[in-house]
Amino acid sequence: MSVISITRPTNVYDDEPSDIEMSDVEESGELKKESAGESIVTPGELVTDDPVWMKGHGTYFLHDQTYSSVAGSVSRVNRLLSVIPLRGRYQAETGDHVVGRITEVGPKRWKVDIGCKQDAVLMLGSVNLPGGVLRRKSESDELQMRNFLKEGDLLNAEVQSIFSNGSASLHTRSLKYGKLRNGIFLKVPSSLVVKSKNHSYNLPGNVSVIVGVNGYVWLSKSKQGASSTTSATTNKAQAAFDSSSSGYNPGQGSVSITRLEEESSWEIYSDKNESISNSVRHTITRYYNVIKALAFGELGITEQRIIMGYEASLAYEDVGSLIDKEAMESICQDVINSEKMRG
Amino acid sequence: MILSPAERSYLYDSLIQKPPIRPDSRSGHQFRPLEAKTAFLPSSNGSARIRLMDGSECIVSVKAKVVLKSQESSLIECDIDVSGNRDDSNFVSILKFNLTNLLCQNFPMDVLQLTSKYSYKLFIDCLVISHTSYPLTLLSLATYLALKTTRLPLLVSDVDDSEVEEQPTFSDDWDKSKYLKEMVSSNSKFQPPIFITLGVVGDNLLFDPSTEEEQVLENGLILSWYNNKVITPISNINLASNSNNSNFKGMDPILISKSLALLKKYCGEIVDALDGIIEHDDATEGGIF
Repeated sequence: MSVISITRPTNVYDDEPSDIEMSDVEESGELKKESAGESIVTPGELVTDDPVWMKGHGTYFLHDQTYSSVAGSVSRVNRLLSVIPLRGRYQAETGDHVVGRITEVGPKRWKVDIGCKQDAVLMLGSVNLPGGVLRRKSESDELQMRNFLKEGDLLNAEVQSIFSNGSASLHTRSLKYGKLRNGIFLKVPSSLVVKSKNHSYNLPGNVSVIVGVNGYVWLSKSKQGASSTTSATTNKAQAAFDSSSSGYNPGQGSVSITRLEEESSWEIYSDKNESISNSVRHTITRYYNVIKALAFGELGITEQRIIMGYEASLAYEDVGSLIDKEAMESICQDVINSEKMRG
Repeated sequence: MILSPAERSYLYDSLIQKPPIRPDSRSGHQFRPLEAKTAFLPSSNGSARIRLMDGSECIVSVKAKVVLKSQESSLIECDIDVSGNRDDSNFVSILKFNLTNLLCQNFPMDVLQLTSKYSYKLFIDCLVISHTSYPLTLLSLATYLALKTTRLPLLVSDVDDSEVEEQPTFSDDWDKSKYLKEMVSSNSKFQPPIFITLGVVGDNLLFDPSTEEEQVLENGLILSWYNNKVITPISNINLASNSNNSNFKGMDPILISKSLALLKKYCGEIVDALDGIIEHDDATEGGIF
C-alpha cells in the first residue's frame, strides 16, 4: 500500500471552457416566473421585477426588483417568493432528529452545537433524569447538571421548537435520544441529508448509524449485540423492546414509559463504552469511509445508499484505500448504478 | 476541539490495537491524500500549493533577492502566516522557528552564491489558509515543492568581483533561468529537508495524525528527513490542541529508534511522490483549483 498519494488538482469544469452566457437583461422577470419548477439562481441574479411577490428568505429588493441573495432554487408559495440555498448552515425545524455536542452548561440549560447559526438550547426540564418515573426536576439536579451532560458530550435529540430568533430548543424525552456511546462521530454537509421519518438505522455488520438532519453523523456498535451481556434487570425490558420491531414505531413512545422506569438509571448518562470487538471497529471505519465518499460525491445520504455503498466498498479489501479520490468516485458510481438497476 | 469521554476512549482503544484501527482505517504509515500544484504564482521564483481532502490548505512562495553577503546573517528567511492565529502567538512562532531552523541548517547554501561579494537570499513565505491537524508537515511538504520549482535568473556578469566594483547583472531571458536543482554540484541531488509528524499511542506510531487522533495521542514526534536520512532536530510535542490532554505522557525511548526505522522505510516514497508531482506538473498545464 502506498504511503502517500499526491495528485494534481483537477478542474471539474475542464470540458466546458466557454463562459455560461449571462442573460439577465433579456430574460425578464415575466419569463423567469414562467419557467416553472426548478429554476436555479445565483447571488445578485434578478428573480422577478413583478412587485406583487412578497420577498422571502434569500432575496433582496432593489428598485422595485427582487434579486436572489444566495445560490439556490427559487421557491414560490402562494405569493411568497424565497430562494432556498443549495448549501449553507443547517436551519433547525421542529421535529428534526439531530446530533449535537454540548458547548456550555448554564443555569437550568445546556447549550448544544448542532451546526446552526446559534447554539441550540437543551433545558434541564427536557431531558430524562435518572431515577425512574418521570419525576420533577429538583434543585439538586440543577447543581449536578455536569454529572448528566458536560462540555464536549455528544447527544442525539429532537428539535422541540424554534425560538423567534431562529435558535432551536431540543429535548431528549425518549429512550432513542440521549448521550452517545460506543462509536465515532463525523460531519457531512447538512444539505446532503435527506429528511425521512427515521434517522437512526441498523446497518449490516452490527453497526448502527444516526444521520442527524444537521449533517452530524454518529456511527456506533448496534445495541442488539449488547442484549446478551446486559444485566438481568434490563433483560426484561430488552426482550420487550425486541418483541416490538427494532425500528421506531409511532405510538411506541407511550409504551416506553414503563421501560423508562427500568432503564432510566444513571446508566443513560454513563461515559463508559461497552467492549467492542475489532471486527466491529473495522466495520465502523468502513462505514465512516463510505459516508465520507458519499459526501464527497455530493450524493444525498440515505440508509439505502449507505448500505449500497457499503456493499460496493466490500470490493476493496483494504479499507484504507477508500480515502483515495478514485475509490470514492467509483463507490459513488456504484451506488448510482445500483440505484438505476433497481429503478 | 473537545471530544466526549466516550469518543475519546473509543478512539484511544481503537488506536492502541495492533495494528491500529484509525478512524478512516489508514494504516499506521499512510498519509491522507494530498493535492498539490507547483509554480503557479507568476511573480515569485517558486511556489507551491498543497491541499488535504478536509480543506486544509497551504500556499508557499519563494522569492529571491540579491544581497551583499557581508550584510546578511542568514541567506534564508521564513515567514509563516496561519489564518486565525496571531503572528506573535506561540503556535506560529514555534512553526516558524522549526522551519527556519531546519532550512538554515540543512540547505546547500552554495547554490545561492553569485559572486564573491553577492549572493541570493531566499524569502520563503508560507500561508496556512486553513488547517485542522498540526500544519507543520503540510508546510514543509509545500516548502519542499516550492524550493524544488524555484527558478533563479541566469547571471551574465563576471563571477569573480573581488577586485572590481561591479554589481551582478542578469540575463533578461527567463527561459535561461535555472532551477535550484540544476545549480547544485552534479554528484549530489537537491532535496530540501522535510518534517514528518508522528503520533504515539502505546507502541504504535501513526503518520500524519488527523485532528481527532491528535486529541487522544500519548505523545507526538517531529522528525526531519534530509539526504535520505533522518537528521536532527528530533523533538516531541503535545499535538492535542486543547492542552488538557489527559492521555499525554512520557514516551518509551525504544519508540524513537522505531520511528527512525519507520522513516527510513517510508520517507523515500514520500520524497519520490513529491518529485513525481513536480515532473508531472511541468509536463501539463492545468487549473490550479
